[in-house]
Amino acid sequence: MKEMMRDTLLQVRGVSHAYGKHRVLSDVTFGVHRGQVVGIIGENGSGKSTLLKIIVGWLRPDRGEVVTEGRMGYCPQDLLLYERLTVGEHIRLFAAAYGINGKNPSPAEDLLGVFQFQQCEGKRVSELSGGMQQRLNLSLAVLHSPHLLILDEPCSGLDYGSYRRFWQYAQEAREAGRSLLIVSHLAYERSQFDVLYTIEDGSLQCA
Amino acid sequence: MRLKFLSIYGAMSARQLLRHRVAVLLLLIIPTLFCTIIVLITPDRVIVFELPTVGDSVVQLENERDETIVFIGCAAVCLLTAFFALHLVQKQWQADRRLMVAGYKSSELLTAKLCVLGGLIVSMSLYVSALVSLFLVPQNYWSTVAGFVSGGFVYGCYGLLVGSLVRRELEGVLCVVLLSNIDASWLQNPIIYAAAEKKEIIRLLPGFYPVQATMMGAFTNHSVLETVICSMVYGSAFLAIVLLVYAWRMRIR
Repeated sequence: MKEMMRDTLLQVRGVSHAYGKHRVLSDVTFGVHRGQVVGIIGENGSGKSTLLKIIVGWLRPDRGEVVTEGRMGYCPQDLLLYERLTVGEHIRLFAAAYGINGKNPSPAEDLLGVFQFQQCEGKRVSELSGGMQQRLNLSLAVLHSPHLLILDEPCSGLDYGSYRRFWQYAQEAREAGRSLLIVSHLAYERSQFDVLYTIEDGSLQCA
Repeated sequence: MRLKFLSIYGAMSARQLLRHRVAVLLLLIIPTLFCTIIVLITPDRVIVFELPTVGDSVVQLENERDETIVFIGCAAVCLLTAFFALHLVQKQWQADRRLMVAGYKSSELLTAKLCVLGGLIVSMSLYVSALVSLFLVPQNYWSTVAGFVSGGFVYGCYGLLVGSLVRRELEGVLCVVLLSNIDASWLQNPIIYAAAEKKEIIRLLPGFYPVQATMMGAFTNHSVLETVICSMVYGSAFLAIVLLVYAWRMRIR
């Protein structure tokens, strides 16, 4: 049991949530283990993003609990960036938050390579294309090599090359024992997931 | 409270603010424009006004143009700091929440914003004081600066409050424009005050103590300390509400 708990990076138990009288999540229970890529798919408005907000702590569930273990990274669906800061400034701001020392920390350098940012490190977010903004949005979540990476629609807006690189990164992360929880309204790459859930009317079921 | 986090986030906030080039330019142009218009349209004559913080019976005789230049300088500081404070808090609060998931605390974010706002208030006050000095010689220069700073503080805190409470940009701008126009740019003018009937209403508004302090500094030799302290207490009341609302809005599990 203890071994299992150590291997469980995220445990969601009986989570329910409603906005006023509109119930969005009903008794959602699932877990993410070390080295797993878990997907949750559902239609727009099915409660996916609400579930992620509860997991990262932005929302309190009406019932149930969420237990996390280890470092967590979160990439929200919306581009939550500072439009007048440059790519490099974003990386420095988040690197400080994650406790990564040095002006050019090595994970950040890796990221600049993986997501091909070298050319635009000094560019402001407002000067980047939509795809590049999404890449930066994603990169800020993985800067500190999190044990559990939580991604809300991570591939929307990415070009095909970036999309492939993302899945390559996901596989490498999994091989390194890290876990990913990916939420999407589409699941083109079903084979990439170890566990896939569907969410419908606030209830979670195995796909 | 971690100093490293404060300094990094504060520096980034200041950079974002300074990169609004047109807004920074307007920060310099608006007070100059206000003073120039006053010089062009206000008659060069002696007028009577009251400074109730000096004493109810005290009536000042001053040049109307000088009085209006000092008053409009204070109004400009109040209006502009409120706008920038609103922008500091209202914009990108979701990105700030993301930073909190990454490891920042809401107290560090708000303190850094307050430091940036403090720098802006002092810079604005010094700039407007220098500008006013081109047209008249204030009785007490540093007391006049203190009056401007207290105006910036009260209205800066008001801007933070609006930014914390009102999520939409247009509504926030309207709240700032409405109060600063009615209060700091109109009712607090000692000429208007002298002729007003329900003076107690004017005394309750946020611009009262800052404008009084500025006028006392510019036209009397009285100490502005008490009036500045009253301004700070007024601004701190706004700030206390800001702290509660901001902490509640930014809370994470």
